[in-house]
Amino acid sequence: MISTVYAVLFYVATLMMVVGTGMKVLKYARTSAPLKIPVSPAPRTKRGVWFRMAREVVLFESLFKSNKWIWLFAYLFHFGMLLVLLRHFRYFQMEIWWWVELVQPFGKYASFAMLAGLIGLLIRRIFQQRIRYISAPSDYLMLALLLLIAVSGTMMTFVSKVDIISVKAFMLGLLRFRIETMPVEPVLLIHLGSVALLMIIFPISKLMHAPGLFFSPSRTQVDNAREFRHLSAWAAQLPDLPEGIPAPEEKK
Amino acid sequence: MAYDVNGTAVEHDEEGYITNLGEWSKELADVIAKAEEIEMDEEHWAVVNFLRDYYEEYQIAPAVRVLIKSIKKSMGPEVGNNKYMYELFPYGPAKQACKIAGLPKPTGCV
Amino acid sequence: MAPLDNNEPRKIGDPLKIPQIECGAMADTNTFAAAPEHNEPLGFPGELLENWKEVAIAKIGELADKNRAFRVYLDTCVKCGACTDKCHYFLGTGDPKNMPVARQDLLRSVYRRYYTFAGKYFPWLVGARDLTKEVLDEWYTYYHQCSQCRRCSVACPYGIDTAEISMAAREVLDSVGMGQKYCNEIIAKLKKTGNNLGMNPKALRATLEDLEEDLEDETGIAVKIPLDVKGADILLITPSADFFAEPHIDGLLGYAKVFHAAGVSWTISSYASEAANFGMFIGSYENMREVSWRIRQAAKDLGVKRIVFGECGHAWRVGYSFLNTLAGPFDFLDQNYPIPQHIMEFTSDAIDDGLLKIDKSRNDEFVMTFHDSCNVARGSAMGRQEGGQFDLPRKVLKAVCNHYHDMERDTIRENTFCCGGGGGLLTDDLMDLRIKGAKPRMNALQQVTEDHGVTHMAAICAICKTQFSKVMPKFGYEMDNIMSVHQLVANAVILDGQEDEADQAKAEETP
Ligand code: HEM
Ligand code: SF4
Ligand code: SF4
Ligand code: SF4
Repeated sequence: MISTVYAVLFYVATLMMVVGTGMKVLKYARTSAPLKIPVSPAPRTKRGVWFRMAREVVLFESLFKSNKWIWLFAYLFHFGMLLVLLRHFRYFQMEIWWWVELVQPFGKYASFAMLAGLIGLLIRRIFQQRIRYISAPSDYLMLALLLLIAVSGTMMTFVSKVDIISVKAFMLGLLRFRIETMPVEPVLLIHLGSVALLMIIFPISKLMHAPGLFFSPSRTQVDNAREFRHLSAWAAQLPDLPEGIPAPEEKK
Repeated sequence: MAYDVNGTAVEHDEEGYITNLGEWSKELADVIAKAEEIEMDEEHWAVVNFLRDYYEEYQIAPAVRVLIKSIKKSMGPEVGNNKYMYELFPYGPAKQACKIAGLPKPTGCV
Repeated sequence: MAPLDNNEPRKIGDPLKIPQIECGAMADTNTFAAAPEHNEPLGFPGELLENWKEVAIAKIGELADKNRAFRVYLDTCVKCGACTDKCHYFLGTGDPKNMPVARQDLLRSVYRRYYTFAGKYFPWLVGARDLTKEVLDEWYTYYHQCSQCRRCSVACPYGIDTAEISMAAREVLDSVGMGQKYCNEIIAKLKKTGNNLGMNPKALRATLEDLEEDLEDETGIAVKIPLDVKGADILLITPSADFFAEPHIDGLLGYAKVFHAAGVSWTISSYASEAANFGMFIGSYENMREVSWRIRQAAKDLGVKRIVFGECGHAWRVGYSFLNTLAGPFDFLDQNYPIPQHIMEFTSDAIDDGLLKIDKSRNDEFVMTFHDSCNVARGSAMGRQEGGQFDLPRKVLKAVCNHYHDMERDTIRENTFCCGGGGGLLTDDLMDLRIKGAKPRMNALQQVTEDHGVTHMAAICAICKTQFSKVMPKFGYEMDNIMSVHQLVANAVILDGQEDEADQAKAEETP
């Protein structure tokens, strides 16, 4: 029974995340940028922009320059999470890829980096006057949700071990549209439930920052407006204006 | 919003510039100057008169440099210099003197 | 005139010092509203519409469909807070609504309420709120406390640009009849006379002739400032403040000397006698396009080969980044030169080509620093190298002055602080805000004055120059401590045949 509920939950969550995010991304892609607005230091070439974006994604460069504390915590959290996520691949594979094996030991402890980052961010959100001012309830809840995921996950790794084999069987089953039985452990249910929730809210929350970054005109545009004429689709439809200076009597 | 000149009301905008330029008079100039806490003397009048003459011809106030050059010619370099102009009109010869002279405010990045 | 009076003494402080937040500190600072005669020529309703709410909400949706930046920025902010201490108006006022993300949230909260799932069904959770008249008034207040300088955008991990939100908000306000007097009056004036001042061709001609006289008195040479000359090579587009205010005019004299020395034929147009484009401040593509288009018309009509822009920050952003989009393609101009070109690029090339005879010692009384105008620094570029917008003005300054020192790194180049008067805020009714917003820049200047004895600051933006000449006296400087870069160029350049004998002798000594 619980297995069925969770199986449905995961199908729904995946659908929401993939379709929802896909729709949003499509919307971003289809919305035109009427003007060139790259912000300094703006590369003059496409290659330069690729390089800039790579630094933003891999190093969080702008954040590093603007706020070292937020950078530290955000970095710990994101790259902790990245390793943890990579580690999770093994639950979805019969034959585990070699590099997934490789990250296992790191992934195992990366959860602490993730936790440290999250706690740091939460503390700043609560105690830093300016950040508290700009926080809505959802901003705290988002961190709480992530903490819940991270804590429950870490507990299963280090405190109350669950039956990994049957979890894996359940996951592999889902991939093949078969519902296997999963172990009914409270920690596992919390972990999987909160992950599903996170996936569901992904497209309708600030988590859209991840795909959003790649559509931010101030970062992704090439600074070459003088060399290449940029014209958005709707602006191209505007009525023509007169050429040449009107004779004095026509001047308004 | 209006100035009171011997019982007649003369409309002005939020910043004290009169809205109907035709309503200007020497008495009005004194009233505006008073509101600006300026005591009009001969030198003030020389500026105001030049501004009005210039406006008459060009429909715009002169650049400060042009104003100063002319005052320098007519009243000598002790009066015709930037510093002294700001002593006469602390908020700027362009804006404050224009207000008293009943000209529209110079707009733009000035 | 009360605001000018708050001449409280100010101590030298850390330009980056973050204040405690003080809610509502600037809530009562409002700029004058536009009258119907200011709004209508721009195509906006004269007064607040009866159905303002529907119109405003629809406008937000329209903007989200037409402008990727607007949509993406409203969606992606994670409220990390990295931008909160980056705005000079926040640093100067402590009002939390002047923190960039909080400024965005004023509009984001409404966008969420009407256009997102979470905001529609769980408004309390995500800080969404209904659009009310109070909200509209709050927008009017705080979106007119943003100079659209983009310092926050540099700091944000996603490049979220509050200037874009602020422009959009002003467009929404305009669309319901709540325009700002300063901007809208000026745009209306430009459409009539060709410039923000409202200076007609006759007055412009008289002014330029007067300046030619000054140049001749000074140099003994007939240096021309041509107007409406058909067939000239270069059309100079410069802010009308260059015809009117100090130290702007001195910059104009500088361009004239450089053009003269370089031996090019050039002209100003009375039809497009304005570089600044206030259409950008109000976020109106249509108005910005109409204003830009005049430049194209003038260039065609006069049959010029090149367009050069004078010293003007916002104008250069429009010139460099938008002009090709708004009024292009410029296939009728000489393609061997950048279109448009900045006067700084022109002068820099003239220096490289050895066209200018320079006596640096003529600027020895000045110890200079340079204020990077935000719109040049963060919204445009110059020259062929990345970062040319920072390096070229410095190069030109150093070529004409012996004494130069930069201000603190976090307050210049892409991190430059706004002068406090940009983005349509250069109006007397906002003087209090302008003084407070100038504080970080002034503090950075005071530091180099202490450390290196800097006496003067140069800028290449009409608004910056005017703003500084007004606010510098509040920080212990004189109003003429702000200079045009080309004013210093003008001081140092010696024209061929210039009569000053002492200078002649000197120039011959130095190889
Ligand atoms: C693409 C590059 C990315 C960048 C530059 C980035 C940057 C950031 C930053 C700066 C924060 C703010 C931390 C805070 O102060 O709250 C944040 C939060 C967050 N990010 Fe990312 N992120 C990226 C990709 C991702 C991805 C792929 C995910 C995947 C799920 C993700 C998940 C999260 C979550 C869950 C938070 C929430 C933390 C909170 O609510 O405070 N991010 N991100
Ligand atoms: S654009 Fe400039 S003025 Fe506006 S919020 Fe950002 S930092 Fe402040
Ligand atoms: S830095 Fe960017 S993401 Fe962070 S709070 Fe400011 S606008 Fe939002
Ligand atoms: S006025 Fe000057 S410093 Fe201020 S925003 Fe404009 S360009 Fe920047």
